[in-house]
Amino acid sequence: MKQRGIDLAPAEGGRHHIDAVAESYRLLRLASSVRDLGAQFTSAVSRMLPQAHTLLLFRPAGGALWENTADGTPAGSGPGILSPSEERTAYNALRTFPDGSSLGVVVENHEPGGPIVDDDLVSLELLTAFMESAYQEILHRRQEKDLIFSLNHRLLQLNSLIDTGIEVSRFGGIIPPHQLALQRAASLTNASRGWVTVSGNGRIIETVSFPPGMEGPSPRDRLGSIATSFSFGECTYAFLLSGKESRNGAHMFEGTDQMLLDALARQVHASLENRYLHAQALEMQRMEQDVAVAASIQKRILPTDLPHIAGYEVEGVNIPSRSVGGDYYDCIPLADGRLALVIADVAGKGVPAALLVSSLHASLAAYLESGTPLVPLMQRLNRVICHAATDDKFITAFLGLLTPSTGELHSVNAGHNPVYWRRGNGTVDELIKGGVPLGMLDMDFPYEEDRIVIQAGEHVLLYTDGITEAQNEQSQLFDSDVPLKEFFRRQNRSTPRDFIDELLASLKRFTGDAPQSDDITALHLVRR
Amino acid sequence: MDQHFSLTSEVRDGRLIITTSGYVNNVGGETIAKEFDRHFAEGAREIIINLAASQVVNSVGMSFLIEIIERLEEVKGRLVFAGLDPAVEKMLAIMGLFRFAGKESTVEDAVNSFTKTPTHRR
Repeated sequence: MKQRGIDLAPAEGGRHHIDAVAESYRLLRLASSVRDLGAQFTSAVSRMLPQAHTLLLFRPAGGALWENTADGTPAGSGPGILSPSEERTAYNALRTFPDGSSLGVVVENHEPGGPIVDDDLVSLELLTAFMESAYQEILHRRQEKDLIFSLNHRLLQLNSLIDTGIEVSRFGGIIPPHQLALQRAASLTNASRGWVTVSGNGRIIETVSFPPGMEGPSPRDRLGSIATSFSFGECTYAFLLSGKESRNGAHMFEGTDQMLLDALARQVHASLENRYLHAQALEMQRMEQDVAVAASIQKRILPTDLPHIAGYEVEGVNIPSRSVGGDYYDCIPLADGRLALVIADVAGKGVPAALLVSSLHASLAAYLESGTPLVPLMQRLNRVICHAATDDKFITAFLGLLTPSTGELHSVNAGHNPVYWRRGNGTVDELIKGGVPLGMLDMDFPYEEDRIVIQAGEHVLLYTDGITEAQNEQSQLFDSDVPLKEFFRRQNRSTPRDFIDELLASLKRFTGDAPQSDDITALHLVRR
Repeated sequence: MDQHFSLTSEVRDGRLIITTSGYVNNVGGETIAKEFDRHFAEGAREIIINLAASQVVNSVGMSFLIEIIERLEEVKGRLVFAGLDPAVEKMLAIMGLFRFAGKESTVEDAVNSFTKTPTHRR
């Protein structure tokens, strides 16, 4: 066997050689990268063969070209130097690993005329085996790192999915939910770009892109993309992600990417529904507050106690169908000793109707106090209501001015139900003279005034259509079953309180469990 | 450079401060890595990456950041992130980056953190 001429005693030289090999093994195993490995291998060879020139080449998995591990420079597609040397002036080795990557070793002896001797060959084989083992360790560590990265990324996806769900459902966020979901979807699926298109009624309402500022998706963007959509109200939200990224170039999206996009879109859908319901609840709450305020105002407008009038009995009732009604009645003593009897019904209910009732009440009180005659008073009221009401709102009203001492009643009926006057002989007359409802026509309508004299024992009934048009469960009207005029005619001996109680009881019997459809209001006057 | 990503860098007291803007994805991550490489070759071992204007990072971009951390680990250098959006901070935490890298609210805080715990310099 040829031997290298090392200038050492055999025993000392052998120990030195073994130490060098052991040190090389230790250092090679510390290598954390191919480049590092190349440096350690070159260093190990040079310790044993100071005159040698070492080249460690690397070809990555799936790659066709070799590169020099020392500096990463290209080394071609198949260096001839990797072929075994017949002259044995060089040592060559090629190792291919399970992941498809390869390492190529070339060691040339630059000693003048010096071939690679047998001892060197053994050492080089040993170093190559160490290098191979070290590279396997690098591969294992890399696989382990990739696995940890992959597991962490899955954990990240799950965590982000939960966080995004919370964030998109948070009200008042800076970023709209669909935009936030798009950002997160792009990030979690490694998409290079994405869009959410909101469309409705055949047109695109909004397109949001990530990264921001991109044009809408092109046909090229749609290739290999993933998409999902949902409809909310009249709008469709369409998500599209494109350009799955990786360190090794473009990739196809995976099933989990589609699942993530679907889940994020569902979160946006749920968030939009919640926002809508929340807005509705807030609106309802606001309306209830408005209604409570209006109800409180109306409660003050409607009389709690009617005045005591010598020689008369008077009783009234108001049962609104909602917490705020559109009916109004009152019995107002005037400074000159007369009494104003009023009943009114606003077209509509709720807060708008209550506001109009409030206007009527204030204006009426002011005109009565100023002593305005009946017809001009009604004309002025008409103008006030015309200006206060919207186009679809008007008020039917009856206003009577009673002189208690004589029983004389002057009245104007502005489009209201007939007021019933039961005479001493048992007949019931209707007080209908007047004109159009208040607020219907913005003009000085020539209201007509009626005049009657109420005798002792005679009754007058003012009411709203909530009584005559009360419906039972079969949608039949109270007045068609029990005509109010006839009902009033028959109750000739009752007190106003008894009459109203009997009327309400009769209404209840008729309507049964049917909901009250309109306000119920009545004012009953009897001269004793 | 991608129109949706940009960076600036400065060396302050021997520390490299990279400030990014936009999506830290493959393009963004690679751009950061190249900037790091350039300064690393010149001896930079204390690095601050200011992500205040990068609210979205994907895992490909993150892999570049991990490589930077590994390169610095090998030479006992140190990376500190600054200006992290809460969502990005959580992502980096889950991916385990803060076991090997620091985080501070601002670049100034990051600079000061190096003063408190000096890094071994080559």
